[in-house]
Amino acid sequence: MPGMNSKPGDGLPNGGELVPFSTKEKSPAVYPLRYGLKSRPHRLSISWGCGNNLRVTVLRNPESHDDDDGGEAGGEVVNVRLSGEDGEIGDAQWRRIAYGSVSPFALLQSRRNSISSLFKMDTSPSLYQTAWWEYVMEYSKEIKSLLSDSVSSPAPLIEDPRSVIKNAEEPTSLKAAWELMEMFYADKTCLSWLPERLIDWLSDYDVLLSSSHPTIYSKLEDFQKELVGLQAIEDDPRYWEVMASALSVGWLEIVVKLLHLHGSYQLDQLGNRETENGLVEAVAVLISKMPRMRPKLEAGMFGECFAAKPDFMKTRERWQSQITKLECSAFWVQCAHHQTREGLRNMLKIMMGNVDCLSAATSNWMELFVSHLLFLRPFTKGLEGMHNLAQKCIQSKQVNTSHKLLRLLIGILGENTEVVLAVCSKEFGSWMVAHAMELLTAGSEEGEVLVHEEQRNLGGINMEELHRLVYAQVLSSHALTWQIAPVYLSSCEKQGLGLLELLFYRQPVQENQLLIKSLEICRLYELSYVSAKLMKISGVHHWKHGRKGSGIFWLQQARNEHCLKVISQQLFDSVGKSLSDESLKQWEGLVELLGSDSQISGGLDFLHKYRDFKRSLNLVKDGKAIDAAHEAVERLVSLMKSPSTPQRFWLPLLHDSLKLLNWPERSLLNVAQTNLMLNKLQEASIAKIRPGFIESDLSAQAVGSVRLALATNLGRAFLEEC
Amino acid sequence: MEMHDSLQIHRLPQSKYVDGVRWLPQASALNRFFAAAYHDPDSESSSIEIQSLDPNPNNSPSVVSLSSWTSPSRVSSLEVVGGGSFKPMVSAATSSGSVHVLMVDLVEGGVIGEVYAAEGERFHVGRVEGVDWREGGECVTVGDDGRVNVVTVVNGGEGLRYRRVFDGNGLVGYRAVKWASPSEFVTVGYGFGLQLWDQRKAGEAVSQLNGSWFQGKTSAVVHSIDIHPSRKHTCIAGGSSGTVFAWDLRWPKQPIVLSGVGASAGINNPLSESEVWEVQYDSYTKSNISSSRILPVMTCSEDGILGVIEQGEEPIELLAEPCAINSFDIDRQNPQDVICSLEWESIAVFSRP
Repeated sequence: MPGMNSKPGDGLPNGGELVPFSTKEKSPAVYPLRYGLKSRPHRLSISWGCGNNLRVTVLRNPESHDDDDGGEAGGEVVNVRLSGEDGEIGDAQWRRIAYGSVSPFALLQSRRNSISSLFKMDTSPSLYQTAWWEYVMEYSKEIKSLLSDSVSSPAPLIEDPRSVIKNAEEPTSLKAAWELMEMFYADKTCLSWLPERLIDWLSDYDVLLSSSHPTIYSKLEDFQKELVGLQAIEDDPRYWEVMASALSVGWLEIVVKLLHLHGSYQLDQLGNRETENGLVEAVAVLISKMPRMRPKLEAGMFGECFAAKPDFMKTRERWQSQITKLECSAFWVQCAHHQTREGLRNMLKIMMGNVDCLSAATSNWMELFVSHLLFLRPFTKGLEGMHNLAQKCIQSKQVNTSHKLLRLLIGILGENTEVVLAVCSKEFGSWMVAHAMELLTAGSEEGEVLVHEEQRNLGGINMEELHRLVYAQVLSSHALTWQIAPVYLSSCEKQGLGLLELLFYRQPVQENQLLIKSLEICRLYELSYVSAKLMKISGVHHWKHGRKGSGIFWLQQARNEHCLKVISQQLFDSVGKSLSDESLKQWEGLVELLGSDSQISGGLDFLHKYRDFKRSLNLVKDGKAIDAAHEAVERLVSLMKSPSTPQRFWLPLLHDSLKLLNWPERSLLNVAQTNLMLNKLQEASIAKIRPGFIESDLSAQAVGSVRLALATNLGRAFLEEC
Repeated sequence: MEMHDSLQIHRLPQSKYVDGVRWLPQASALNRFFAAAYHDPDSESSSIEIQSLDPNPNNSPSVVSLSSWTSPSRVSSLEVVGGGSFKPMVSAATSSGSVHVLMVDLVEGGVIGEVYAAEGERFHVGRVEGVDWREGGECVTVGDDGRVNVVTVVNGGEGLRYRRVFDGNGLVGYRAVKWASPSEFVTVGYGFGLQLWDQRKAGEAVSQLNGSWFQGKTSAVVHSIDIHPSRKHTCIAGGSSGTVFAWDLRWPKQPIVLSGVGASAGINNPLSESEVWEVQYDSYTKSNISSSRILPVMTCSEDGILGVIEQGEEPIELLAEPCAINSFDIDRQNPQDVICSLEWESIAVFSRP
């Protein structure tokens, strides 16, 4: 948080912040907030909603009640969505990237665990490194494929001879940044030809650098627009300018294509411009035969590849001598077209690596840097050499763009891990830094040490964990992505579990589907105590909203005896003193749900026993056999013995069983059972004087008849047992 | 378990949460149609869209949204009525307790015509969990509030008429419902219990499976049931812990477990170990025709498995996604075609060889 930094001088620059953060950078932006209230707002209340939503409650003055306000509401809640997106990647696309990166990330983590245990006994660290790099590369490629646009337009069937640049897919700077990280940290196959990789990178992403300042790409694009209207293309100075520029950064195909648009190729002019055409063609051939220090070129690309340095050097020397020979040839004198002569000679100078010509042809330090790598120092190796060269290029260019991609590149070349991390997190977001960390730690030892070092001022966690936690927080703030946050939190050793628990408590678990999905995640991470709490929250919510069955179900699942007890008391209150047969039907579903032998019921098992008792009693009423009567007695006894039977049901229960007590043939209750009933009757009578007693609606006469029946039964039982 | 290698699966990103997806009848030789229910938490809006799927043999199929209808709240159940006609009805039940019926004209480019609704305090309070239609334009709806209603489409464009069959007063909550015959239907509440109802005997269920047969460690909830039109006495159900079981009304006391964790000793290799969100009889998988065996069942689950379970056979895994598969639908006219909705804002479509 700005302005709340910890005390200065605790090891980090700028007083404790991890990412350079300057409050002076931007003046605060003011956005108007529209609301539908007609009268003047009296008070404002501001609170955070879910995710990036800010809830602004606009309240009108309650005092000023006019008659003509048309019954206007007392206030309004305005939802303000704060969006941090830079427009390049939309919210939905970000989520798609987030979803897609879960599997590669999780796979890499599990591989890390298995590989480190596998290689523990092995003493050769190089073997481990090679295996690990392979996994990291696989991970990097999968992530990279997510960053490309999913729909690529198919190539046109008929190629327009005048279309010089192709724009198949709009590249994103996120992908460009990922490629830089991959190139320098993860991809060990390109170590020997890093310069060429950078040349390729620039040809893919030069378009991105043109946002603030013109680049070679933007010049080409502008020129292409006017190409159709040009009659004699070679008369236009810009024709030669863009070709020199394109050549300086190695876009050989474009240069050759442009050269072939030269007027001397036209059939009607071929006769009188033979020498000129010969020169153009000679340069075109030289360009297309340029030796390149790389293992392969994509189809359709010009140049000759050499993987080994000696072969490359030999061919390069021959190629350069051919250029010198052409430069000194007498044909130039015979070339009458001034622009052609000068333009072609300039191109030859670029190919020979003339520093001034390269500088003139390029528009920013990155392009200059690439042109140096291409024509002057193809053997530049190691980050230090590249960094020095880059610094020189920066100094030699007057106007320089400070594009975020170039800042990232400088950080990488300068082997400055903090800068790399800071640029990643500030410019490309928490997703980038959490995922690119894997590349960084795989490729740079210094980086690995820094990232895995426990930071005291971060509460003992390391940078890796910090950035994963930050990313997980971003995921948690959206209703659709919170479910993948646990994958990242679980990879955080120290704080992950605590935050995971908090994440669950923030979910609206009153929705059944969400609750069940949360429980499933709890099961995966063995968080049974969290799932019990979630079920309790949900159960209480359902209960409060009148869904008694759902409430009891979830509380039972949560094994929450306490809540169930409270609920059962409320439930019995609502039942009243006795259940009629009709209302018992309604309870059927709940009783079935409770089950007979459930251990956790908080006294609700009474309902089940009561239902069973009523059922057998009904059978007795129907005049069915004595067996039913015996069963009813057994159930009555078990109800009376059970501590969960509320006292207020005792008298009604006994009254209901009058028929059993007065069974004509023989007494159904033995002495002990009758005594039990008598005791209960006595207890219920004494209870009248206790506070909180609920009067049964049985008449005194009814109670008397129960007493009489019990007494009679006791007498009969005595006689039978004698 | 085996995987179909030749299965070409098309995943169609949607940029909104997919609450449900259903095939619509095939109205033209080229295009396929489906209905999908969406939810966008950013704008807190829900909608039903009629989409056409252009099967491109070489590439990913292209999807065009033909029409859209904004739902008052999140769609809890999406069904298509009128399998063979060009003018099917799409029914959407909502989490705010209403049922809407959309008249769709596929010949006219999938336009949504009239929309009828059944709603109000007397209909359902809270989420309508399950809807099932039968021929004759009648459906039964169940909700979290414990109410069971029968809704009829009144001919002549009058709308919907409903009557209550049962009111559990919140003492029970229902999760799913399915017709067994023109007068009987099966409901499922919490626990692994099922109830058979007969409209002619109102007031209570005529037969029920006690939910306590399942002694699993975790919660036991059934999410979906299905009844095959040719075997109305058997109801299949899918729910927690990967459990899929059949309830034969002729032996209502004990269910037959087809898959699941720890539910039966005979199953060593359950297809899924988490919540089974939807079950449907799969008429495409050819089985040993024997009246004593349960027909093949397709299921989808929270752990991302879509597969087919057959009694006494190894289950067949068709899809294994990194995220949950929340619903699926088998096309009635072309039962080799399956469409399913994935947790990560996408729809998957595939055709079985």
